[in-house]
Amino acid sequence: MRGTIRWARADLRARRGQALLTIGAVAGVVAALVLATMLLEGAVNPWKALFARTHGADMVMYLAHGTDPEALDHLPRIRQVGVPYYTAPATLEQQAVKSPVQLVAMGPRLPQMSTPIVVAGSWLRGGDADGVVVEASFAAAVHAGLDDQIRVQSVDADVVLMKIIGIADTADQGFYPQWTPGLIWVQQAALNRVEPIAAEQEEVVGLRLTSTSPQVEGEVAQNINDTYQSYTGRLVIERFSTAAQVEASMASNDRLVGLLLAVFGIIALVAAPCAIANVTAGRVLMYRQDIAMLKALGFTPGQVIRMLVGTQMLLGIVGACLGVLAARVVTAPAFVRPPAGSAVGLAPLPGWWVTLIAAGVVATVAVATLIPAWWAGRVSPVAAVRVTPPRGHLSRIARLGLLVHLPAPLVLGARDSLNRRLPALLTVFGVAIPLVVITIALSCWSTIDGFKGDPARIGLAATLNVTGPSAAGVHDSDRAQVEAAFPADSFPTLVPGGNGTFTALAIGDSAGSRRYPFHVVQGSMYDSPQQAVAGQGFLDLTGLSVGEWVTVSIEGRNVTVRIVGRVLDPVDNGDVLAFGRDALTKQGIGPQPPQYYSVELRPGVSAAAAKARLSRNGLSVTEVANPADSLGVVRVVIVVSVVVLAVIALANLLTATAIGLRDHRHETGVLAAIGLTPRQVMTTLVVNTTILTLIGVAGGLVAGLVVAPRLINMQGRSSGLGAEIYAGPSALMVAFVVCISVFVATSAAVLLARRTMSGFMRNERWLHEPELATG
Amino acid sequence: MNDPVLRTRGLAKVYRADGVAAEAIRGVDIEVGAGEFVAIMGPSGSGKSTLLHVLGGLEPATRGEIWLRGQRVERLSTAAWAILRRRHVGFVFQSFNLLSNMTVADNVELPALLAGASPKQARKRREELLGELGLTAKAHAAPSRLSGGEQQRVALARALANEPSLLLADEPTGNLDSIGARDVLRLLQRTHDNGQAILLVSHDARVASRADRVIHLFDGMVADDAPVIRAPRPVRDVVGDVLELRG
Repeated sequence: MRGTIRWARADLRARRGQALLTIGAVAGVVAALVLATMLLEGAVNPWKALFARTHGADMVMYLAHGTDPEALDHLPRIRQVGVPYYTAPATLEQQAVKSPVQLVAMGPRLPQMSTPIVVAGSWLRGGDADGVVVEASFAAAVHAGLDDQIRVQSVDADVVLMKIIGIADTADQGFYPQWTPGLIWVQQAALNRVEPIAAEQEEVVGLRLTSTSPQVEGEVAQNINDTYQSYTGRLVIERFSTAAQVEASMASNDRLVGLLLAVFGIIALVAAPCAIANVTAGRVLMYRQDIAMLKALGFTPGQVIRMLVGTQMLLGIVGACLGVLAARVVTAPAFVRPPAGSAVGLAPLPGWWVTLIAAGVVATVAVATLIPAWWAGRVSPVAAVRVTPPRGHLSRIARLGLLVHLPAPLVLGARDSLNRRLPALLTVFGVAIPLVVITIALSCWSTIDGFKGDPARIGLAATLNVTGPSAAGVHDSDRAQVEAAFPADSFPTLVPGGNGTFTALAIGDSAGSRRYPFHVVQGSMYDSPQQAVAGQGFLDLTGLSVGEWVTVSIEGRNVTVRIVGRVLDPVDNGDVLAFGRDALTKQGIGPQPPQYYSVELRPGVSAAAAKARLSRNGLSVTEVANPADSLGVVRVVIVVSVVVLAVIALANLLTATAIGLRDHRHETGVLAAIGLTPRQVMTTLVVNTTILTLIGVAGGLVAGLVVAPRLINMQGRSSGLGAEIYAGPSALMVAFVVCISVFVATSAAVLLARRTMSGFMRNERWLHEPELATG
Repeated sequence: MNDPVLRTRGLAKVYRADGVAAEAIRGVDIEVGAGEFVAIMGPSGSGKSTLLHVLGGLEPATRGEIWLRGQRVERLSTAAWAILRRRHVGFVFQSFNLLSNMTVADNVELPALLAGASPKQARKRREELLGELGLTAKAHAAPSRLSGGEQQRVALARALANEPSLLLADEPTGNLDSIGARDVLRLLQRTHDNGQAILLVSHDARVASRADRVIHLFDGMVADDAPVIRAPRPVRDVVGDVLELRG
């Protein structure tokens, strides 16, 4: 054991660079996985992150005014009782738009439970009675910013002016407007001005429970009512909400993000062991003679295997710890601040989950090392003394090359790269595997870019939905910005057979210029009221395919249409059947004013700017969610993955180059003896590596470009959005990847070859002038 | 002769490549007594190095018996051979084969640590050995910084770290200049004087002449096995002694 430790220590010291690369690769993989999981959690369920960060309450009880909450402390299953506060409903007036709000009275000190997180400005201040703090998603929805004066109207129509001094996040309610009303924190004095009758103010108290199952929550509510009823003679709970309810209403159903992140997790878990196995195999190849010598000295095969696996696991553990640390640092609140107006944040993963990821990666490293380690255990001790020169012959092509006076270093280098099969395979795969994944990652990036740059491609020709009294004239009133406005109605509809719901979307006309420009990827666009197009989600849900007829029940009437095409539509995960509004009119549904107008903007017009301008005209405007917005988190994972994979590829390349150079050490003298200049010998070494890199890069790119469309379209299909979402990386990007790879490979080869050559020159002098060394 | 430390009976090694069998050693019977210094000579390809590798368990024998310290060992597993080597057999190779990633001190201490010595004992033994070989100053140098003669002395120190009863040396002076070779031979002589048996393979008659006995191999078989008879120092004053012949 001591001998093993001594050798492992010396080995790590001698190969510091390689060890650091392995640590870096493992750290990167662990960090990427932890990050991907956190982002996945954050993207799919942003509320949960917020709940953890704000120390949210498990139950929020709305009690009758004046209820003394002290009795709650002694009730079973209640872990902690928050400080009670008062609240009253009101209305926020912004020109013609009125939004319902809930005013919550708090003091200048932030509460310990359900602590609002101030994302802009400051919290309530003692000396500033009119200063209020607005909940972030509500502030974003109503375009309220810091220092804005707001008019709050009480139930009795009295108007109170207030000033926004802060924007904050909370988990006590979901994001506006899904979970109305808007939330405004005010001081008690301000609340009293809006709602002077104390009895009309609700008393709110947050509870943390020992368990959050619905049974326990029900039991707690019952206990509270029973307890208070016994000495007040009345029911005190007016209503209550639970964290689970809010969470359920907030859980995003974005399957595409989940799928993409899951794919990256799997890819990282597959690529990392391949790369680590490759590096270890390279080490065994490179230090075969040393391993043989260890065996000649008395190391058993088992000891050699344990030593290699142990060393790699040690590096793996260090890497995993660093990876966890790195993930912690980059996701620390100091680094990741949710943008103003957005409540999306990152919740720390539970410790056991992080441990599982780290342990999984270390175990994968151990398994990946086993094969090369077993191989090292089988190295014959005779290899220490009997060096078998690499075999091979000068092929016909090589002879021809020399005959037509191709530069000798080029021919010899090319021959070498293909003659040593095992190192050649290690090099090619070592470069190709990371390149496949990098290509997939870049394809994901370009696909997301496609969503963003050309929303019409994924069925989002209209970027705004407008409602309001003057919505019908939105096109005529703002032709500079608005390309077209399509009247639309959407109906949550039961699937025929009743095993789910989908959205029946009646939009524009079924033909002519007012037909909505869907992106049809299969079949054709509808051109009569009897025809419709459907999203992949709808087709999966109903088991129907393009060309079939379907009858759906809208507003109690049957509408029968023929599905003539499949469109890309990210709304409701593709559970959409769309047709012209005249299909409804034909069935006697309507005519009636449309629920909303889908507004297509002119090219180059920013949705946010258009939204602001239209809002000022008294319209209620919402932006249509682009999947690219939530896929932004995938970009972070893509960048981390590409960096990690580039490090892995570099590690493989350096190992491969070093193996090549070691094999050539014996030949360097021979090449020099037959008349090659030192520079030509060096070129031979460099050509060898460059050719293998080129093969690896080309193989990786081709495989990546073949796999990526299938993988991404498969994800599109399973997410309901639909296949054909893939947009490949540009030729420029591919060329850039090739150039960078070849440049890095060649530079590494040149550096190592120069070192080998200078070592060789020193040795030569030493061999011929022994007195230099001995004297 | 004392009880032999090494004995072989009908030892053979056959290599097979591409369906062709080549017999490197064919029915070799040799004995090396405890504390004996035996040299093996023979032309290139006569099977000298192969014999040494088979005797040290670096390669398995195809046929025959090997007895080491009274124990039959030719059928031992790879791991059992490794344990036997670390305790009782020292190896010195022509090309030194020092572990490139370890310092001189680590190279010498490694076999002792492997055999179960404490780091303190291993360090003490290393200091003794390097002191004897005049390499104390180079203890923390990398092997590549040493001359060939120095590297071979370190290799010898490494082979002697566990005081093996048998030292197998394959052309230990083959890569050395005359000064280096002389130093190494002196050390081998000292090892022999300490009572350790040495089996040395060499091309060089001057090297072999240091041995007690020389075995000649030819085509993988023992062609001759005879003790080295050293002439008494000639009496300088008598002219006729110069012409004396010995049988």
